[in-house]
Amino acid sequence: MLEIEKLNVFYDEFQALFDISLKVSEGETVITVGPNGAGKSTLLKTISGLLPLRSGSITFLGHRIDRRPAHEIVELGITHVPEGGRLFPQLSVYENLRVGSFLPRARGEAAATLKEIYGLFPILDERKRQFADTLSGGERQMLAIARSLMSRPKLILLDEPSSGLAPRVVTRVFEFVHQIKSQGYAILMVEQNVRKGLQLSDRAYLIESGRIVKEGLRKTFLDDSYIRKAYIGL
Amino acid sequence: MAATLVIILVFAAIGVFPYFVPSPYILHIGTLIFIWSFITTAWSYMGRFGLVSLGHGAFLGVGAYTTGLLFNYFGFTPWVGMLLGALAAVGLAVVVGYACFRFGVIGDYFALVTLALGEVVALTLIAFRDITGGSLGFTLKSKGTSLFYFQSEEKIHFYYASLGFLVLALLVWKWIDRSKMQKALRAIGEDEIAASTLGMGIIRYKMIITMISAFMTAIGGVLYAQYITYLNPHTLSGVAPSLEIAFKAILGGMFSLWGPAIGTALIISLEEYFRVAYGSTFVGFSQIIYGLALVLLIIFLPKGIYGSLQDFVAKRKKS
Amino acid sequence: MTELLLNSIVNGILLGGVLALLAFGMNLIFGVVKIIHLAYGQCVMLGMYVVYTLAVQAQIPVILSCILVLPIMGIVGILLQLLVINPLLKAKANPLTQLLALAGLTIVVENLAQVVWGADLRGINIQLPIISIGSVFVRTSNLIAFFGALLTLWGLYLFLNRTYLGLAIRSIAQDLDSARLMGINPRRIYLITMATGGILTGVIAAFFSPIYAVHPHFGGSFTMMAFIIVVLGGMGNLLGGFIGAFIIGVVTSVSGVLTSTEIADIIVLIIFISVILVRPQGLLGIRVSK
Repeated sequence: MLEIEKLNVFYDEFQALFDISLKVSEGETVITVGPNGAGKSTLLKTISGLLPLRSGSITFLGHRIDRRPAHEIVELGITHVPEGGRLFPQLSVYENLRVGSFLPRARGEAAATLKEIYGLFPILDERKRQFADTLSGGERQMLAIARSLMSRPKLILLDEPSSGLAPRVVTRVFEFVHQIKSQGYAILMVEQNVRKGLQLSDRAYLIESGRIVKEGLRKTFLDDSYIRKAYIGL
Repeated sequence: MAATLVIILVFAAIGVFPYFVPSPYILHIGTLIFIWSFITTAWSYMGRFGLVSLGHGAFLGVGAYTTGLLFNYFGFTPWVGMLLGALAAVGLAVVVGYACFRFGVIGDYFALVTLALGEVVALTLIAFRDITGGSLGFTLKSKGTSLFYFQSEEKIHFYYASLGFLVLALLVWKWIDRSKMQKALRAIGEDEIAASTLGMGIIRYKMIITMISAFMTAIGGVLYAQYITYLNPHTLSGVAPSLEIAFKAILGGMFSLWGPAIGTALIISLEEYFRVAYGSTFVGFSQIIYGLALVLLIIFLPKGIYGSLQDFVAKRKKS
Repeated sequence: MTELLLNSIVNGILLGGVLALLAFGMNLIFGVVKIIHLAYGQCVMLGMYVVYTLAVQAQIPVILSCILVLPIMGIVGILLQLLVINPLLKAKANPLTQLLALAGLTIVVENLAQVVWGADLRGINIQLPIISIGSVFVRTSNLIAFFGALLTLWGLYLFLNRTYLGLAIRSIAQDLDSARLMGINPRRIYLITMATGGILTGVIAAFFSPIYAVHPHFGGSFTMMAFIIVVLGGMGNLLGGFIGAFIIGVVTSVSGVLTSTEIADIIVLIIFISVILVRPQGLLGIRVSK
């Protein structure tokens, strides 16, 4: 459903991504791994429309989205959960969720979607009147992911869901991602925790210094000795 | 070398101009341009280093009113009054400036404080209306043509006097530009936080430049008052003249030597043109055009006219 | 003496109500569009001129004029967004440049007023009765303005907190990129914010018209006051603006009675300077790194 071809992204004169070509199919979970600063977040930001691209094309469900503004891309069905969640600090949990259903097509079903979300994440129901910045790290990440579901997307871009979280919390977060995956959403994930991330994914890409260095199925990655040494530490 | 020659020729031309075209009207406009160029250049001593003040009217007012009141009530010669007025302005600058610099108030917040300051001076002058004549201002007692009392009934005297003062302001600009203070202030202007590693030095340099600017601006106010022989709190203090000074300097290019003078010359000529062409039919129409031009120029030429020209020439040279 | 003082306090509170509207408009615009609308008072002045033109020159009944001014000023707000603010945002102007551009705008508006309506005072000359509550005398026009302002503020509160649009506006104010990722179109929100700000100036103009006569420099003092209130309460902080409005309203009123209007203004300006020096984030503001 998502096709990226020969994407080149610059920050002023500094080139961050070189000729990236990537695919995500319906219902797939794809993970991109690689060292810090390799350009993985940049990739997600470019897809969601926050960053402009210099050349290349991004196609989603047959529509070209590479020169569209961010809010239109959301409308087409892609949501982006930035690193750290980027919740609205002075809105309550409930209000953060509600903003997620801002899109006209999502508003009608907002009440129903909210019920589902509270079912999946009961703790959010408990805390719904609290301000977002009073939540713990793990809760915030859950809220961020839940919020992205409110728009009833087709593809979810997840940027480092485990970032800054304690190991036990990371496990819970990944459990939720697994639940979402089993509901049929397509997910493009950037993740530092390669082992746990690969367990969830169907396919993977390795990005180093802005270029795709390796791509393949999950098993191929898990078995690869270079990846095991450099990123999984086995 | 060629540039210096051109400058000398231009000044010579301006100097002998009255003898070829003895029109009192043109002399009047010329004098106004010189006086306000003096003031805007003095403003740019601060402006070019990021200390953009929207309240220099305060110094105009303090300078002009101190001199004028001392003269009208006590017969003080304006030359002495000028000094006292300038020192008073410096005093004000020191108090407010130090408070700002000490508390780290910079950028647009600094501009807002200066804006308020200009208004405070204006309101104070109006409030003490028994002494100052309030909103209606007051006129200087006439002494005919007298060097001692810095008044003249012949336009040409102030033409040359203000030209002389302008040259002084330009020379002071050059002097500041060559001093080591300039390097420090440039650093502060570009990145305040990084430059703060210089420690106490920052406040000291900012104070010095502010004091010089206040001193000269006050003298400019006196110049204007002596020329017009009439003082009014709305033209010599408050928001209006403060903004006009800033605009003229920024429009011409507040980072360069000639920028403020060029901006002043352009705007005063423009204002005069509109006033003459349309002034009688629509009072204030010229000001509308003026304001619109200002807004457009600010948005599209952040470096001012002269500054943008410099950039343009530099780009041409590169290719 | 105490009666005079009491009177001035009450009137200060009444004035504070309308000033709160002014502060709300400026805070809303600053919080969302991130621009200091230095010409806000001038827009109120423009609104008053519109009411004058409709009521006196076009002989439209006063109440209708006060209603018509709202959409007219809303359109003015939109024009401002399209003609001034969008270019400023596109040119990535720094805050100082924005300040200067809007200061230039004040010159344009004031002189426009002078050209079109002349320098004389223009009023709609409505005499509403003065009523007394105990030993305090208040004008009905001031009472109407006060309660009208509170009502409007209540309506705005509901709008911001109970509607999707209000939610979108608050989101844009808190995190622009995040809001875009929710499918919110920033340009549309800016336009709506500026339109709302414009309509608000119309509301204030409608309340002011029975109280004050308007002249070309009328806007200046209100812009200053609104600005001081906003800084006092914390820029972008709606609650702070609300509280600050009443503080400044009472201070202005009481000082005006105890000394003179000019000294009252001086006192307010000194408060302003002090706030910027000592606590630039205002009473309720959060300190953002400089």
